[in-house]
Amino acid sequence: MQIFSRSLNKLPQVVGAAATLGLVGVTFLIWYYFSPWFTQVGYSPKQPVPYSHRLHAGELGLDCRYCHVNVERAPMAMVPPTETCMNCHQLVKTDSAMLQPIRDSWASGKPMEWVRIHKLPDYVYFDHSVHVTAGVGCIECHGRIDKMEQVRMEKPLSMGWCLDCHRDVKEKQGDSEHIRPVAQITNMEWKHEGKVDPPRRLDPPENCWGCHR
Amino acid sequence: MSKRAPNPARPAAIDAAPEFPKGHVDTPPSEEALLLSRRGLLGAMAATFAVVGAEGCRRPIEKIVPYTKMPEDVIPGVPSHYATVMQRRGDAIGLVVESHEGRPTKIEGNEAHPSSLGAVDLIGQASILELYDPDRSTTPRKGGAPASWDDFEHELGAKLGTFDKDQGAKLRVLMPPSISPTVLRMRDALAQRFPKARVHTWSAVADSNARMGAKAALGEPLNTLYAYEKARVILALDSDFLQTESGSVRANKALAAGRRLRSAKDAMSRLYVVEPARTATGDTADHRLRLAAGDIAGYAFALAGELAKSGVAIDAQGSAAKAAASAKVPPKWLTAVAKDLAQNRGHAIVMVGSRQPPEVHALAHAIHAALGSVGTVVNYAAVADPAELDVATDLKALTDAIAAKQVETLVILGGNPVYDAPADLAFPEKLASVPLSVHASLSFDETSEKCSWHVPRAHEYESWGDAQALDGTVSVQQPLIAPLYDGRSDIELLAFMAGPRAPQKAPLDAVRATAQALILAGHGLSGCAPFDERGDAECKDATGNPAGAHEYELDRDWNRALAMGVVHRPQGPKAASLVPNGVAQAIDARKVGPKGSGAFEVTFAPCPKMVDGRYANNTWLLELPDGATKLVWDNAALLSPESAKQLGVEKGDFVKIAAGDRSVTAAVWVVPGQADGSIALTLGWGRKKAGRVGNDHGFDAYPLRATDALGFVSGVTVTKTGDEQYFFAQTQEHSSSENRPIAHQATLAEYRVKPNFAELDGPPPRALPLWSQADYGEAPVKDAHAPSGHQWGMTVDLNACTGCNACVIACMAENNVPVVGKREVWRGREMHWLRIDRYYADRAEFGASADDPAVINEPVMCVHCEEAPCENVCPVNATTHGPEGLNEMAYNRCIGTRYCANNCPYKVRRFNYLNWHNDAVFKDTGGLPETLQMQQNPNVTVRFRGVMEKCSYCVQRIQSSKIKAKRELRELKDGEIRTACQQTCPADAIVFGDVNSESSAVTRLTRLDRRFGLLAELGTRPRTTYLGKVRNTNPEMA
Repeated sequence: MQIFSRSLNKLPQVVGAAATLGLVGVTFLIWYYFSPWFTQVGYSPKQPVPYSHRLHAGELGLDCRYCHVNVERAPMAMVPPTETCMNCHQLVKTDSAMLQPIRDSWASGKPMEWVRIHKLPDYVYFDHSVHVTAGVGCIECHGRIDKMEQVRMEKPLSMGWCLDCHRDVKEKQGDSEHIRPVAQITNMEWKHEGKVDPPRRLDPPENCWGCHR
Repeated sequence: MSKRAPNPARPAAIDAAPEFPKGHVDTPPSEEALLLSRRGLLGAMAATFAVVGAEGCRRPIEKIVPYTKMPEDVIPGVPSHYATVMQRRGDAIGLVVESHEGRPTKIEGNEAHPSSLGAVDLIGQASILELYDPDRSTTPRKGGAPASWDDFEHELGAKLGTFDKDQGAKLRVLMPPSISPTVLRMRDALAQRFPKARVHTWSAVADSNARMGAKAALGEPLNTLYAYEKARVILALDSDFLQTESGSVRANKALAAGRRLRSAKDAMSRLYVVEPARTATGDTADHRLRLAAGDIAGYAFALAGELAKSGVAIDAQGSAAKAAASAKVPPKWLTAVAKDLAQNRGHAIVMVGSRQPPEVHALAHAIHAALGSVGTVVNYAAVADPAELDVATDLKALTDAIAAKQVETLVILGGNPVYDAPADLAFPEKLASVPLSVHASLSFDETSEKCSWHVPRAHEYESWGDAQALDGTVSVQQPLIAPLYDGRSDIELLAFMAGPRAPQKAPLDAVRATAQALILAGHGLSGCAPFDERGDAECKDATGNPAGAHEYELDRDWNRALAMGVVHRPQGPKAASLVPNGVAQAIDARKVGPKGSGAFEVTFAPCPKMVDGRYANNTWLLELPDGATKLVWDNAALLSPESAKQLGVEKGDFVKIAAGDRSVTAAVWVVPGQADGSIALTLGWGRKKAGRVGNDHGFDAYPLRATDALGFVSGVTVTKTGDEQYFFAQTQEHSSSENRPIAHQATLAEYRVKPNFAELDGPPPRALPLWSQADYGEAPVKDAHAPSGHQWGMTVDLNACTGCNACVIACMAENNVPVVGKREVWRGREMHWLRIDRYYADRAEFGASADDPAVINEPVMCVHCEEAPCENVCPVNATTHGPEGLNEMAYNRCIGTRYCANNCPYKVRRFNYLNWHNDAVFKDTGGLPETLQMQQNPNVTVRFRGVMEKCSYCVQRIQSSKIKAKRELRELKDGEIRTACQQTCPADAIVFGDVNSESSAVTRLTRLDRRFGLLAELGTRPRTTYLGKVRNTNPEMA
């Protein structure tokens, strides 16, 4: 007597197909969550004013810290207040239509609303100052800002990407290609050639509470 | 899935219209194209799916909103700290408030202020939540209906205008006792405009008895300052000077300093406490006598007689002998205590609590004079307001005037007299008969409801003011934030009422003028003319000669005063001596309180949490376990086991307590250590109009309180009602450690013989460490495996801890710890990262018995085991061991198995069964109010449902200090990182630091002979080390 019905003959094929599909699905999910698609590399939203880093930081050669003043002393580099724009644009391009929102903000006191590009999750407590004073240049995380007409996200800013650098620096100290002299942190053209003397012993955390708390 | 408080500089996600970035999706084909072919249709479908997919995966678009014009000195992400001051009963506590981009979040003590010395009590810590109370009043109200400030000013101004004719004979003002020089100046200005108007003073919790006692003994009401650190013997008569009395923060600091043991050779002071109900002071005592409040005066008088026998001749000896009654006191409490006091002449203190009548306070002054303690351990200072004497008499004068129809307008500035006035005055009914009554208060409360006008009052943290501490130090109260709800301060309201007579209108100008006079006086200048255009002014110096003053110097001193938090320090203590025969007269003229026919007495004490009811809507305080009972969200009628047996009641039963025609029904809680025949009821509970969470918790004691029995009432009758038992929730149901070695203690004599009693009393290790580990308790750390770098550790000195609970609230404020509500606490789901365990010991050596146990308090938080049982069982590595010895918790990895909590022998791990912030006490009112979100610390993740959490040794403080040191290219200094509990501890019981450094304070303490590791026999190797408690018992008391 037949214990199993005939229809079950197809079971191995069904199981096989499901397993294959499942495997493909899992592979896809892993591929997706590690891909730049998920980490939004290349994200480049339109800003209320088409501020050009290529022009200001590249061509005109403004230092990053002219606007991002707190980068060496605070967790946040800080997007500058309208006041900083008006320092120059009271005199330069005073009738540019593109700058109208800036002038409106200055006149009304209503702040500008820029779109955040480099966003870390809220449970990550990233601190700009500790990186910059260790000799990690702006370019390490933000790329060639001086060549960007519209800022785009250049690096994945994922935990694995952070740790790659932390581990490399911990092991190689000043030999790590991520470390440069503190005086060169905003220099976009600087090239790592030979050992750099870091300002202090570099001990980037690799434990959870180094960044999450 | 965690989220943080909205931060103005890093705003929470603002959901804008979904926008997909260029380069990800092609522009969809036009409509005509779609209709063209099947191919086009398929393409359109694919594009649609791509759009849907892109939208679904897209993270919300977040905006960065910078300032338009950057305020000076603000660095987004870096908190600022401002010095200010808060009034606590008769004392002012100097504070330093942490502010994130203009949003005050955390209160700390001001080290430069003599009443704080860097510490704050639990009320100070919780006061930040009062500022953000979502139920604060937002608008003036006339008869309950919203009105405008203009309407109010118009109506009151017109009414006051009619009073100018008769000099304000029908105007009365009622306010709590003030210690603000500027408020008192404005009050004087009001008196200038209306000489016949009267300002009455009332507060349910005041120092009237102490003031009247000082006036009788010394001729004027003076503050008494005690130098506990220099005292050798302290006798506290019904005085909870470590928790609820004025000046408790400094008292904790000083007492702990006088009892600090660094080796078995050190000396420590001895503390005797005589009290009816358990308090933090009684729990700290070396010898404690439970005695009904009504018998304490008799004991004091008998003790005075006993002192005479020891050769200490007290003024008023005869009167004391007549009044003495000592039948209920064990004889050694007279002979041995008197002998101890007499043997420590010049270093003995006798404290009397504010509940005891004035003549007992007067007697204490006489005892101090006779013992030669004045000038050494007892000093005097002038009070801020000498006119404030007895608040009950003052309030009675007001109600009598209302009854006699002499009051047309009554302005009540602060306080809540409808709720807390003595029942015999029938204040609510009388208030209703006043034609125009105004109540300025933080919220629309019981009193506001009964007044014709209510106006919102500005909080201490949002208005200018000043305050004078017990010792005479004056500090400026700086606003930390603009008034959230359009409230106005007492100074503004009094200035408005004083009209043209007000010396300044704006509160800042008024406070500045007060400070300037003090600053000039500090330079020896007085009688200054106004500054001229060049900033010069003509003053007189101490000898009366003309002297110049310059405005810029004053500005400099003012700015320095604001930064330091201290404007003026007194030159030294005020000299005072006994008025001849004053004490004797006070004793002879004493009024014995009313005594009914019943067998019980009821004592009223300010609740350590609610104070007089002011903090009833404060969720942190509501959920704080009471020090004596560990009850949360309630008070109870506390009975001794003997009294409970006598009445035939048990925990939860209702009793009706009646004194004459006044009565209260309350549920019973049985507490060992309570005096037999005495029932303790704390004030401040049972509010009806406190706010969305504060109503109807506990039992209101005020209906039982009368003007002649504010402290306690004797002869009350107590009957069991037979109602269904009340539901109480407690955080610690077990009181005995069942002889398990958890909290070690010994007498001083035992300690001297066996200095390392705490380790020796513990059991031998039951499990050996899995691998070789450094022992930070041994010097020096020799182990080859000893890790390098910082190794964080902590010590908790049980000899200093009084169980005051300030650390518990400090931890909640710093770490965004949620409140879960009474029922969830009852289920054992409270979230406190730091709890205070209390254990009873009935060892005869401590003079204790089962009904009157010796109490030991033990703060317990995560001890950061080097071999942590929690880490081994986590299936997802959410809790791991950091390189600096911290047991780390990654919330985002946690999947909520709760294995770690089950495997933790200390039970310090807390699980978010729900999204507590929104779904617990605020569930029915729309979640955590926005204002309370403003309090949250932006540097700590707000945990969501389903994750485990626990003490982190305040890792956010460790990290920010480490980053600061790295930025400045230097090593961390010892003491630079202080945990929230350590920083606020008024007794300096908690010390945190690097146990791998030979020079750190924590290393020295870790190696003290009294050290022990909590449950160290399990092989967990805790990083937190406890130091055993030592009781300085008197051999003659045995």
